[in-house]
Amino acid sequence: MGSFDMDPIHVERLRQNSPGYGGKLGPLAALALLLACSSLAVACEAGKSEKGAGILKVWCHSGRAEEREVIRRLVQEFNESSADLRVSLTIIPEGSYNGQVQAAALAGDLPDVLELDGPFVAGYAWRGYIAAIGERVGGELREDLLSSIVEQGTWGGELYSLAMFDSGLGLYARRGELEQAGARIPASAGEAWTISEFEALLENLAARDEDGAVLDLKLNYRGEWYTYAFSPAIQSAGGDLIGRGEGGKARGVLDGPQSVRVLRRFQSWFEKGRVDPNLDDRAFVAGRATLSWAGHWEYARYKQASGEDLVVLPLPDFGDGSRTGQGSWVWSVTTSCERPAEAMRFLRFLAEPGSILSMCAANGAVPATHTALRRSELYRDDGPLRLFSAQLTGGWSVPRPETPAYPVISSVFEEAFQRIRDGADVTRTLCEAAAVIDREVRDNRGYPER
Amino acid sequence: MRIVPRRHSYEGLAGGLLAAPAAACLIFFIALPFLAALFLSFTNYRLGSPLPLEFAGLRQYARIFGDPGFIRALLNNALFALLVVPVQTALALALAVLVNRRLRGIAVFRTIFFAPVVFPLSLVAVVFTLIFAPGAQGTFNGLLELLTLGAWEPVDFLHHPWLALPAIMVTSIWQGVGFQMVVLLAGLQDIPRQLYDAAIVDGAGPWQCFRHVTLPLLRGPLIFVMIVTTILSFRVFDQVRIMTGGGPHHASTTVLFESVQAAFDRGWVARGAAMAVIFFVMVLAVTLIQRRLARQERT
Repeated sequence: MGSFDMDPIHVERLRQNSPGYGGKLGPLAALALLLACSSLAVACEAGKSEKGAGILKVWCHSGRAEEREVIRRLVQEFNESSADLRVSLTIIPEGSYNGQVQAAALAGDLPDVLELDGPFVAGYAWRGYIAAIGERVGGELREDLLSSIVEQGTWGGELYSLAMFDSGLGLYARRGELEQAGARIPASAGEAWTISEFEALLENLAARDEDGAVLDLKLNYRGEWYTYAFSPAIQSAGGDLIGRGEGGKARGVLDGPQSVRVLRRFQSWFEKGRVDPNLDDRAFVAGRATLSWAGHWEYARYKQASGEDLVVLPLPDFGDGSRTGQGSWVWSVTTSCERPAEAMRFLRFLAEPGSILSMCAANGAVPATHTALRRSELYRDDGPLRLFSAQLTGGWSVPRPETPAYPVISSVFEEAFQRIRDGADVTRTLCEAAAVIDREVRDNRGYPER
Repeated sequence: MRIVPRRHSYEGLAGGLLAAPAAACLIFFIALPFLAALFLSFTNYRLGSPLPLEFAGLRQYARIFGDPGFIRALLNNALFALLVVPVQTALALALAVLVNRRLRGIAVFRTIFFAPVVFPLSLVAVVFTLIFAPGAQGTFNGLLELLTLGAWEPVDFLHHPWLALPAIMVTSIWQGVGFQMVVLLAGLQDIPRQLYDAAIVDGAGPWQCFRHVTLPLLRGPLIFVMIVTTILSFRVFDQVRIMTGGGPHHASTTVLFESVQAAFDRGWVARGAAMAVIFFVMVLAVTLIQRRLARQERT
């Protein structure tokens, strides 16, 4: 799910990610400055000199500082252990990552190995940026990968990506407050609160609360969050964003009765003032909100604030069983890679339990293989976040639509959700959103195979 | 006589050479991209699409003019310019007059008023998001409650259909007014002291001094400030992106925001390009009208 530490200002990241402008490019860069306008062109040119025998160009997104440190260390370990292959790593800011990849693809300048956000797999595969790797992955590793990872990485029946981790989504709460309100505490996704139970609890909690805003939906986030976090609610009622499978349409699905009913509920929570706007991202830790609809990345911070009192719960069941989100950043081999076998060697190294566990220790995500999962203190069968791993392995999670239209679906759904939050008519808003998505599919002639 | 033409052509060459970097930048970064946008706006170009590029005629234009979000963006841009330009110019003038005094520590005030200009707009937008926070804990709500002795009902400014755009206007004015103030201050300091002395000898009061000495002599800087503010106010984007995301229901969207959202969030480059072309024509028209008006007044 990428990381949601969404500071709108990427200054630090930008600074961290201008490899080569300083050191070896010093004199070049000075010259480039003199030539004022052409400076950008010169800096881009210089990156190319690294192409040589035995070098694998790898791009990854710049997550949190800890994640960057781990990926740098892993690359270094890989380079030390392999005599004939050297990985050259470029870290690119998350905000502009997709744009950079598109630009590189247009310029025919893609690296050999690419990290990408899971829901983009279909789009990148359709555009021919990334290659199918199913055969190279092999049965053993494939068996070991969580089914959610395989599902997310598959498009048109072919596996295109591997991952080091998956994401977890649920409700965080404090046991003490729930017990005071007399609420049942579900231990697994199968025992999730029904929606009427959940809404009764909201009112109950609100009656004890100062301002009645007891639910935190992370409204301070922007972008991908809305589709990731709230489409499971729609799916839990039997609706969806778009019809799955060949020729699926959004009309009749995204604006279908199930989806409309779910978003009406959300709207009623907004209207009643049950949702904390959470501008400071501290609604839960400051104690303003009792329930926080959030991802695995909040566990460490919430644990620190609430200690043993913290409980992790499944999302409510809107009628068809609780559902949750899945998917995060994944790794692919590009179509311009001339040594796919060697690229695969690097991906295998990343998927080793040791690599996975050190990455998951840095970002708190769910390990992507069963082997690593069993060894993870957070996610193994008796770990505090076992709910998240059980949701992923037990079939409670739904991948975001695997279609090249995904970026449009996501952006349109976010806009629709915001409008519904601001009081717009739910049916009309979803109808309009569905029409835009269907137009996108039509404009692309249904994404014909190339 | 023989020297003059030679020096002349030498100066022409030097002038050309000196202008070349700037001209090249203008051509490469303004003119060529605009021509590319004009071309793309008549196609169906989508970012990274492997399907062949097709000529789409006026389809993009037809679509955006049928999109209520874009129409609202045009209206918002016009409203923004209509309100922000006079208010910001007047405020800048008032501030400039205020700080144009020989007082102890006046430099401190000038610095304070100018400081917001130095902050990145994105930072200002984040801070103002907190200032406009809903509920009683929001600074602005709290202030209004205090001023109205508790009569003010706290509102969620950035999600209010009528207040979201004004909230962005306030942010923009706060951030930008210092720049105009400095320009006008420079203009004020260019006005010879003797003119005021003469006016006072003739019996003019402070208002008459301002009306008949300051304003006429400040015409140039004022026209400059108004043109620059107009162009800047058409370009409003950062605040929208960070503070409201164009919402609620397009209430605070702008042409640039719609264009960036289309091209970069959704990959609809052709549609974004068409919006950019319309935007260009709009800004060009406004600038030409302004210049024409300014020139007429001068004659």
